[in-house]
Amino acid sequence: MFIRTDDRITTSQAIVFMTNTILGAGILTMPRNVTQATKTPDAWVAVLLGGIIVIPVILLMVKLSQQFPGQTIFQYANRIVGRLPGKAFCLLLVCYFLIIAGFEIRSLAEVTLFFLLEGTPIWAVVLPFIWVGAYLVSGGINAIARVYQIVFPISMFVLLISFAVSSRVFDIDNLRPVLGDGFIPVLAGLRATIPVFVGYEVILTLVAFMENPRQAAKAMIGGLAILLAVYLITVIFVVGGISIDSAMTSTWPTLDLIRSFEISGFFVERLEFPLMVIWLMQMFCSFCSFFFQSSLGVAQIFNLSYQPVIFAMVPIILLSTMVPKSLQDLLLLGDMIGMMNISLFLLLVLLTVVWLIRTKGMKQHV
Amino acid sequence: MLSSVISYFPTWDVWLQAAIACLVPIVASFVYKKTYSLAGKGRNPNTAENKKDPDPPAPNNSPFSGDYATDLATIRERIGGNSDLCSREFRMAKLNVRATLFFVTGMQNDRVLDLQLMEFLMFEAGADVYAEPERLHDQLPFNNLFEAPSLDSFNRSVLFGYTGLLIEGQPSGLLIECPDGANRAVQEPLSEGLLRGPRLSFTEMLSVNTSMLRRQGLSEQLEIKTFQVGTRLQKDLALAYIKDIVNPDLLEEVKARIQKMDFDFIAESGYIEELIEDNYLSPFQQLQNTERPDRVIAAMLEGRIAILLDGTPFVLIAPATFSMLLQSPEDYYERWLPSSLLRMLRFAAAFMALMAPSLYISFISFHPGLIPTELALSIIEARQGVPFPSLIEVLILEVSIEILREAGIRLPKPVGPAMGIVGGLIIGDAAVQAGLVSPFLVIVVAVTAISSFSIPSYSAGITLRLLRFVGMIFAAFLGMFGTILFFLLLCSHLTKLKSFGVPYLTPVSPFRPRDWKDLFFRAPRALMKRRPAMMKTQDDKRKS
Amino acid sequence: MSSPRKLVLLTLFLSAILVMPTGCWSSKEIEDVALFTGIALDKGQPAPIEKEFESKGATYSKRNKVMATLQLVPFKSQKKQGKKQNDQKSTFLNISGSGDSILEILRQFSIRLDRPLMGHHLKVIIISVDLLRKQSIEQLTDFLLRDNEIRPSTLVYVSQGPARETLMSKKLNEVPSFHLSKAVRNRSRTSKVLKPITLSRLDSLTHSKKSFVLQTLVTGGGELELSGASIINGSTGQWIGSLNQENTECLAWLSGDRNAGVIKTDDWNGETITYEIKSLRSKITPQVKGDQISFQVEIHTLGRLIETWDEQSHPTTNDYANALDKRLEDKLAAMMEELMVKLQSKYKSDVAGFGRRLAIENPAAWKKVKEDWDNVFSRSEITFAIKVRINDFGSFTED
Repeated sequence: MFIRTDDRITTSQAIVFMTNTILGAGILTMPRNVTQATKTPDAWVAVLLGGIIVIPVILLMVKLSQQFPGQTIFQYANRIVGRLPGKAFCLLLVCYFLIIAGFEIRSLAEVTLFFLLEGTPIWAVVLPFIWVGAYLVSGGINAIARVYQIVFPISMFVLLISFAVSSRVFDIDNLRPVLGDGFIPVLAGLRATIPVFVGYEVILTLVAFMENPRQAAKAMIGGLAILLAVYLITVIFVVGGISIDSAMTSTWPTLDLIRSFEISGFFVERLEFPLMVIWLMQMFCSFCSFFFQSSLGVAQIFNLSYQPVIFAMVPIILLSTMVPKSLQDLLLLGDMIGMMNISLFLLLVLLTVVWLIRTKGMKQHV
Repeated sequence: MLSSVISYFPTWDVWLQAAIACLVPIVASFVYKKTYSLAGKGRNPNTAENKKDPDPPAPNNSPFSGDYATDLATIRERIGGNSDLCSREFRMAKLNVRATLFFVTGMQNDRVLDLQLMEFLMFEAGADVYAEPERLHDQLPFNNLFEAPSLDSFNRSVLFGYTGLLIEGQPSGLLIECPDGANRAVQEPLSEGLLRGPRLSFTEMLSVNTSMLRRQGLSEQLEIKTFQVGTRLQKDLALAYIKDIVNPDLLEEVKARIQKMDFDFIAESGYIEELIEDNYLSPFQQLQNTERPDRVIAAMLEGRIAILLDGTPFVLIAPATFSMLLQSPEDYYERWLPSSLLRMLRFAAAFMALMAPSLYISFISFHPGLIPTELALSIIEARQGVPFPSLIEVLILEVSIEILREAGIRLPKPVGPAMGIVGGLIIGDAAVQAGLVSPFLVIVVAVTAISSFSIPSYSAGITLRLLRFVGMIFAAFLGMFGTILFFLLLCSHLTKLKSFGVPYLTPVSPFRPRDWKDLFFRAPRALMKRRPAMMKTQDDKRKS
Repeated sequence: MSSPRKLVLLTLFLSAILVMPTGCWSSKEIEDVALFTGIALDKGQPAPIEKEFESKGATYSKRNKVMATLQLVPFKSQKKQGKKQNDQKSTFLNISGSGDSILEILRQFSIRLDRPLMGHHLKVIIISVDLLRKQSIEQLTDFLLRDNEIRPSTLVYVSQGPARETLMSKKLNEVPSFHLSKAVRNRSRTSKVLKPITLSRLDSLTHSKKSFVLQTLVTGGGELELSGASIINGSTGQWIGSLNQENTECLAWLSGDRNAGVIKTDDWNGETITYEIKSLRSKITPQVKGDQISFQVEIHTLGRLIETWDEQSHPTTNDYANALDKRLEDKLAAMMEELMVKLQSKYKSDVAGFGRRLAIENPAAWKKVKEDWDNVFSRSEITFAIKVRINDFGSFTED
């Protein structure tokens, strides 16, 4: 057919979707979290290890979703554990997505108000952002994935250029010694690195939208690999550029890295401008993803139509944005999201076990 | 514990904000849907209010009676009131029957009419012509000869400029000689000038335009289908496409949309554009218009469909994508390396034309810390004594530039360029001298204006001009954050937009690596072996 | 049908109009702010103007711990249209105030100026030695690091005399703070200009409690010079001593972060021989034997004989070059020795990165001595292996 009406995304779109969902606030704060946990220059090892640990989790989710082709978690949870527990689990997931969406917007607003728009009331930053998000999300997954495809290459390009230019302050000695204190600090760092991958739960719905669900595992691992590469580069350049001591004490270490030098004689002397631009766009992507997931979840759990749910979601997201009262609360919320992430994962494992028992049991009956 | 939870409970102002947050999109979407359905009615005759019979009403559909006198009387009664209608009654000498010629003055070549037609009919047309009334058609030595099916269409055609002939004893009227109204000669394309490439442009005559397409090359696959459009004043519209390339689904869709058009008069192809495009509330054009036959034929070879309308030199190409707006036929005529450079320049120019003033506002008014120190110092010195905030300052200059441009189009040709010089140089300089605007802004506005001139398609240029003002307002509110929001909003809109089912941003997204060869740069022809993937053509090889 | 729609449109329009004047919250035009490009911090004492204010009763509660001087640009007496600048005054304005909180001093300026201050374009921070004797550098830069406008790329200098004098200039059209931020470019010509310390580097140095050096400024006759370096003690964050220009040069060569500069010595006839370094490689190798830590330093340089005042010599022969190499090596070794005496005995501070090398090469040993490093360093044995090679005699030959 020439005119397509189905809402499916290609494999490359799925990769970008995955990367853009997770790549949000983390890119500015992650170096601090990780270095504070490791206290050695081995932060990058912790990030690498964290990424590798996440891979089996992702594979589990993909496999689970592939058992129910064309269905999202909100649809098949019922079939696994029954109606009520399934619904409860899905609601939990929706709440989780909503909290992350609020968290992303709030961090965005905090950075914007601190660096760009001092004196503007927070709602003036948050409201238009949510509205533009709602406009995009109402276009369905295809429109979202397409915006990601535009934003992603731009932000990767700018990010890599920024880091490449920051090599003028890069000092390899800041990253040495490698594993000078052994592996214990790295393991301590894992506590901080696994939460930076928060958001991979989108796989549970994403696989259902793929044109080729068979390539889901490849796509998701691909998305994670890109993400891991970006995080690794970020940590290496931040620690190498401003050293571990500065990374630990700075609230937004990546911005500080870029702000710690000027390229005189270049038209954009101050690279935090392009960096802020792409970061804002990246935050928009990440936020829209969670917005979409939660609206979809509500629509599918309660059998509502998708468009009105978006309107209902807008004020809820706003409320969730406004709950933290200070930056400290926000950072605390970030840690809590990390914990929620782990407990949700455990719940999911439980779900899988139940499902395995059920199917196995059925086979025995046959 | 509980009190600490309660302390996180949002206060009333947050609830108020939440209410506003909820209300605005609902109202916006309500207004959008209302406007959409409001103007959307003209597009689809199947809506309740337009359940009209597609055929003209009964009294207009009367057949010829066959009786000369009654028919003559009816015709006279119906259209005889027009003072520019001439009817010349005469006797055919050899046959001795009465006949009448109807024609409208000024729409016929008088020489042909007098010397050939009248002479033949009055003196030469013999019994052999008249003997077999049903074969009359074949016997008359005229190239353009039709039999009018009904009195009504006879009347209409006569008034449109055909010469009508009513002969005693004949069952129906004949139409001889096509209208030959005032036409202009073929000229160079005005709106799309090129240095290298054919200098041919379409004219107002549909037949001339189709012939231009035919003359592009020999092929039996180039098919041109004609439709009548307009409910009150009818006009010819032609679809042109290459039969074995075009996707049949696309063709069906275009045909269906054209047949659904419901408007009394289609004056220009812009009417068609608005009536058949996917989203008429979008600022972006979803059909490309051009007056260059070479552009049309190239598009047809890519699997697109051309829509030609009688009476306008602007031909529509459907479907259109964003990248087409920034391509010029010259890209393909010149060497590929410089062409690629020019094309990338155009993308950069489009970006500047859209964003430069908003970036200026956000830097000057919101983020002086993001510009290099030395530049900041020179801007401060340049802006000393400018009494307005940057938004007002930019608006003053931008609006006057737009007015100048508009005036330049309206003015007679010899005055136009002088106007540009007067406006651009003198007003700009005087504004700076008077301290109304800063010299730095003059540079920004000039760069913006020049950038927008470099966009090959005029219609795309207007779109960007419009959006530039929207961007400026966003920037004036939220600085760079607003500018980014504007960009994201634009991206969101563009990704939702489709032109006849083709996503507007193809091949950027959905990502079609095959079509990237002809996007930011123009690959050498050796690499462009296949037609664009987005068109889903029947035959996608360009080379064997 | 149409009236509710009109109503909705009207409401939207009205609310837009209502939002309009309240919008643009953060908007402030660039010409309506006062950029400051330099801050000088001095020992606390009221500035002359301040004294006059205070004598008239314009006071607020404060202790005079520090005096801050801001350099505001561009500051011009009404630009005249069409005329060339014939009676141009200085392009900057310095404003001083004292108090016990840097932010409060800055805010205090706001009641003296017509435009709000903006720190995005701060280029240099100069702290006087006198102040650093009393206050730790961490205290003084705390605000500067926290502030959202001041960039971490701001350079930090120490001034021998009063810091506010470094922000004065007699030259027309020159802003001293720009001069200071650009002087760093001369690092390609001489090693006497140290690797610049930005705020972000300062942050990591103070946080890790290491001793470090800052470039020292000396003023005289309305001009200034980058001369030597000041040592800031890691544990106290205060000034403990300074290095002269040659020490500074040696320090740069020792840490190997710059390969420029000249070595001047006398030849056998007592005439000047000048050697210009083209490339320099230095390597510090720590050796740990039990509790005893020692360092082996290797310095290799290649360069050009660029100037000789000796008319008898034959500079283009290999023998001559080898003999000169030796002399230059001795000279360099002597310079290094002088530096090490200062660092190890006089100031007991490791500012040359010996500790860092140890931490990288032998993390376990480093962990043991980390807390008391400056003392351990002063007891460590440091040996030098210096090689100087002349491989070029310039574009002038004589037989």
